[in-house]
Amino acid sequence: MSTSTPPDTASGSRRRPGRSMAVCALVGAAVMAAVDEIVFHQILGWHHFYDRATTSVGLLSDGLLHTAELLALCAGFFLYADLRRSGSLAAHHAWAGLLVGMGAFQLFDGLVDHKLLRVHQIRYGVDVTPYDWAWNLAGLLLLLTGVALAVRAQRRRTDGEPPG
Amino acid sequence: MTPAHVHPGPGPGELLIAGTALSLTVAYLAAAERLRRRGDVWPGGRDAAFALGGLGTVWAALGEAWGGPFTQHVVRHLVLGMGAPLLFVTARPLTLALRALAPGPVRRRLPALAHSGVVALLLFPPLAAVLDIGGLWLLYRTELFAATGHRPLLHGVVMVHMAAAGLLFSLAVGQLDPVRRRRGLAVRGTTLLVAGVAHGVLARTLYAQPPPGTGFTPVDLQQGAQWMYYGGDLVEAGLAVLLGVGWYTATGRARARRRRRGPAPAHALPLPPAPVSPSPSPGTRRGSWSYLEFPRKEA
Repeated sequence: MSTSTPPDTASGSRRRPGRSMAVCALVGAAVMAAVDEIVFHQILGWHHFYDRATTSVGLLSDGLLHTAELLALCAGFFLYADLRRSGSLAAHHAWAGLLVGMGAFQLFDGLVDHKLLRVHQIRYGVDVTPYDWAWNLAGLLLLLTGVALAVRAQRRRTDGEPPG
Repeated sequence: MTPAHVHPGPGPGELLIAGTALSLTVAYLAAAERLRRRGDVWPGGRDAAFALGGLGTVWAALGEAWGGPFTQHVVRHLVLGMGAPLLFVTARPLTLALRALAPGPVRRRLPALAHSGVVALLLFPPLAAVLDIGGLWLLYRTELFAATGHRPLLHGVVMVHMAAAGLLFSLAVGQLDPVRRRRGLAVRGTTLLVAGVAHGVLARTLYAQPPPGTGFTPVDLQQGAQWMYYGGDLVEAGLAVLLGVGWYTATGRARARRRRRGPAPAHALPLPPAPVSPSPSPGTRRGSWSYLEFPRKEA
């Protein structure tokens, strides 16, 4: 994610770490949601397309999540392209944002969707506890790595090192 | 079990749709050809999009799909009410008509129609979404669907509504053509989100629960529901890309303008400019998405 775009002088080519991080967090969350859907729904067939026990709230939340993921992926792509075009992408913050987004989504899916709303489970017909632990710990790990990267990126920036 | 939705051959509704689509496609291609003959630029991708939409519509009205009766119906619905409208809108038919028509009463009336209050109201994205997706809920969650099985005229009316409402929705959300009120990205994006959710949830419930009064086999129902769900996603992604390209081009233009004129208030981020504006700004580079931009002659 190096910035090869020449800085545009007139409009001020300040890098925008906050925006870089937010945009990449959006992309990260959407990518994680898409991976979840493609790997677990389509390839492994662990999740079900429609589990008849699903409540209507669960159905609605799942539908919202799915549509939002699609739109977020698309919006994130264009926002990222715009950051690159204007030379304001801060690469370290962008990576941090990506991991934070991925981890946050994974945890949200594991805790709210699977446990709280019980929209669907990770796998059916087996004891789901180890799967839940693996799922949520992986999410937590991603999230913490992202936060650590963000702290480091911020520290570099305030130390006066060239960002990005 | 009685097959609730047999196609006994094209009824008046189907013939109307196919005839209209075919003549509009011919008119579009002729108009684009006219523009090119007089030396204007009209990207060929738009011709291809419109023609594909036209052919798709004809096929959806008259052709044979595969699978059980419900799956067939869903595939037709996807092409007629979602895929073809997206292609039509991408081709900017109104812009073409305004540029190709010779001066005269028709040329004068077209902008008046496009700018009329009724059209502006219909093109308010949330209303267009209610007419489109609301109609779909009505069709599948009332006895209406079962009734279309044995009343050819009603079936035709439903098909015409599907095509018209789909076109209205795509026009309202895409908003590439010059209309009276151009809506912001927020309202169009939110509408797309809500409509996408409503479509997806309906598809999921159809997986387990048939429309009342029909007796489709579970396999047919499940296949149809999945076609509806994933096909809907595809079209929705297409509309999202349309919105994204519009935003990206507009942002790039605004930035280029600011660079030329010096700093301007940052809050004034404009909507994409109306494509009818006759004077292309000089020095704007044509990007790789140029087929979606206002076409201009290369100097």
